[in-house]
Amino acid sequence: MRAVIPAPVPGLDLGREYGHHQSPAIRAGGLIFCSGMVAINPDTGEREHGTVTSEARRIFENLKLLLESAGSSLDRIVQVHAMIYDRIEYDVLNRVYRQYVPNAPPARTVMSVQIEAGFKVMLDVTAAA
Amino acid sequence: MMLSRQVIEPNNPAFDQSQQFGLLLSPAVRGGDFVFLSGMAAIDPATGAPAHGTVAAETRQILTNIGELLEAAGSSLAKVVKVNVLIYSMLEYENMNSVFREFFPTDPPARTVCGVKLIGGHKVEIECIALA
Repeated sequence: MRAVIPAPVPGLDLGREYGHHQSPAIRAGGLIFCSGMVAINPDTGEREHGTVTSEARRIFENLKLLLESAGSSLDRIVQVHAMIYDRIEYDVLNRVYRQYVPNAPPARTVMSVQIEAGFKVMLDVTAAA
Repeated sequence: MMLSRQVIEPNNPAFDQSQQFGLLLSPAVRGGDFVFLSGMAAIDPATGAPAHGTVAAETRQILTNIGELLEAAGSSLAKVVKVNVLIYSMLEYENMNSVFREFFPTDPPARTVCGVKLIGGHKVEIECIALA
């Protein structure tokens, strides 16, 4: 079974806000596949560009909203693709990352790529439903 | 419980990039409830040769090929749950997005798009996970 997980708050619907043709998340086969999350204000949908630290915080808060609305949670993340705009910020990312997945952290890959709209961080997450 | 793992033979040998380009990969592997596809670049389904073009043209060719590959695996575009789109420049985001929309008219999959350096002179590469 494949089910679309709708945005729990209007701002997290990037299709509506920015025309991104994607669902916020899909539930299938006991897993939840989330679209790449960026630092968006969950209430207004406004882009909140900032530092790697502030963007990563906002992203984790958004993922918490999204996953918990689907009956999952940050603790149930199994895999993360962490994208940052520059590898030089790797340790900065790690400092904030550690606060959100303190125990038994998920599998993770970090890469340095171009992210949409000038963001510095994007997290692509798969969680157990 | 041991889940099954099965390499999917593409219905069109042109999609087998291990044959075409000597790449060490299977185009599609079934594992558990899912089918995992390798990252696909635009290739001509008739010859297997690279089909370089605009971001829009490459996106269209890739998603057409992915649709065929999924059907060979008993799945379909409608069963795709997650897509990762790699493009050579995020400036071309909308050129990819508008074509992408045509292939997933309703309930689109979860998606992550990022700008990376691709091999082989391609502008777009797409990988996906679908329900079997």
